[in-house]
Amino acid sequence: MLANIKKSLVVLLLLINVFFVGQDWVASTNIADRGAYALDCWEAQMALVRDSLPIKRGVVGYISEQDVPGAEYGLWDIETEFFLTQYALAPLIVKKGIVAEWNVVVLSNKDLAIWGKTYTGQYKIIDVEGKVHVLHRLEAP
Amino acid sequence: MTISSFFIFIPSILLGILTIHLVWPERHPLTLLLKLSLGVGLGLGISSILYFLILQVAPGRISIRGIQIILATNLLIFTAIRERNRKWNGVYLPRLSGLQWGLACTALIAFVISILTFFNTIVSRPQGEYDAWSIWNRAARFIYRDPENWQATLSPDIAALGHADYPLLVPLNVAWGWETLGGETLKVPMAQSALFTFAIILLMFSSLAVTRTIGQASLASAVLMASSGFILNGTNLTADIPLMFFIFASVVLMYLFSLNRNSTLLVLSGFMAGLAGWTKNEGLLFMAISPIAVIIVFPKKMSLPFLYYLAGMAIPLAIILYFKSMTPPNDLINSGNSLIEKVKDVSRYWIILKSLSTVILDAHVIVFTIYTVIMQSHPNHSSKQGIYTVATLLILQLLGYYAIYVITPNDLAWQLVTTQNRLIMHIIPPGLFLCFNIAADPETIFS
Repeated sequence: MLANIKKSLVVLLLLINVFFVGQDWVASTNIADRGAYALDCWEAQMALVRDSLPIKRGVVGYISEQDVPGAEYGLWDIETEFFLTQYALAPLIVKKGIVAEWNVVVLSNKDLAIWGKTYTGQYKIIDVEGKVHVLHRLEAP
Repeated sequence: MTISSFFIFIPSILLGILTIHLVWPERHPLTLLLKLSLGVGLGLGISSILYFLILQVAPGRISIRGIQIILATNLLIFTAIRERNRKWNGVYLPRLSGLQWGLACTALIAFVISILTFFNTIVSRPQGEYDAWSIWNRAARFIYRDPENWQATLSPDIAALGHADYPLLVPLNVAWGWETLGGETLKVPMAQSALFTFAIILLMFSSLAVTRTIGQASLASAVLMASSGFILNGTNLTADIPLMFFIFASVVLMYLFSLNRNSTLLVLSGFMAGLAGWTKNEGLLFMAISPIAVIIVFPKKMSLPFLYYLAGMAIPLAIILYFKSMTPPNDLINSGNSLIEKVKDVSRYWIILKSLSTVILDAHVIVFTIYTVIMQSHPNHSSKQGIYTVATLLILQLLGYYAIYVITPNDLAWQLVTTQNRLIMHIIPPGLFLCFNIAADPETIFS
């Protein structure tokens, strides 16, 4: 009796696991978008930023909606964009805040105008594409 | 580019296989298969260390490919000469019964399907998951794009979630892969991940074919391939699958040592444990707990095995210590004064236990544990010792994870949700290896 149960268990274990392997394969044939295209687009935009920066090493600042009083944003979106920017601009080190001579700004024109009121005349804004800009410090803060 | 992304790893893998064969000249065909699977990880581990040393002395000026080819060729010549001088009876494949053919073919079919699943999934997101580009390939870009200034990847200015202190085995292999190909392509991290993923399956098959039977090996491989998230984890392009490989390789080699007391296996086991620490910080935990397992399992004559094990671990450990002297401190160590408060907080222990049990006690694991209990065999003394070794390692690793959760300075709920699945995943292959060494094999059951 026990011998037969054991035989059945071996067959069952094999069949169940082969079924799961097959199920994984079926699921893999129809995978919805997992953000690959969005990542490529961000990389393409940041390639333009890299081209417009005259430095190849060191720290660049990073400004986003987090730095604009009253701006609406999703925290996770902001963080993802920040880490994508770091990934794209390596080996430059991207640090949050207006901390360097060269700074990457990811803000809509409206938010950029609000943010820029504090720094009028201190920075030259270079438009890159969409809401991506580069900021060059004109004088020591 | 796809094919050449795999080809660039061949000298590295050859280096690993020949190194294992050099120190462990066993020639049984199943052992050769085991050496092949171990060689994949060992070769990639050695190559990452070589490239790291190149970065220290002459970044961007010494060809890693040249060094790999010279070393692999020398080892090949040395092995050929040594094999010629030895009595050679040829390599004969073991005769398989109908049952064994059936099980082996089923496992092979599952293997082919898993390869298809892997490639279908990886092409849907070639950049890998969040950690792949924010940590591992980000570090690889720092190294490849500016090798002379590679230490920028360790800068404390890099955001905390970029984890500048994480070990470099995976990014270094990607960086030298790009250097060899002459350009950045995501095919290199994909190829590395594929190699580690399928090497784990091959390691499961070959190790159980050596310690048990072909039938048991086939069954275990099918269960591993069906384990939820295993193949998908490989497509994430993170360091979890390489870490899983090194932990599993170290465990298998320690088990084999307990069977035949060949000290070389213990040296190799120590080296693999060291490479686990060179892959990911969780591997450092394994490096810390695995010598304790050696002491527990060999209490009477522990000094010599202990020394062999540490000797194997010495080179990776030296590299890790040197590397860690340059990195910012890990976020888990920054608990400061709150550490004692966290240790004294009983509610944390309960939260962790409750959360981990949802992962550990899932239906798959419960069913499989019942299977192992019903099917248990009667292992001999040395097998029992091996089983105790693996069980001790698994328990210590789990307790280590538990302790880290207790002291984590991050939000506990967030830390558990974002990490517990993959931490448990790290020990699934040794867990399955343990169960299939306890359970009776299909050949015995159907005889």
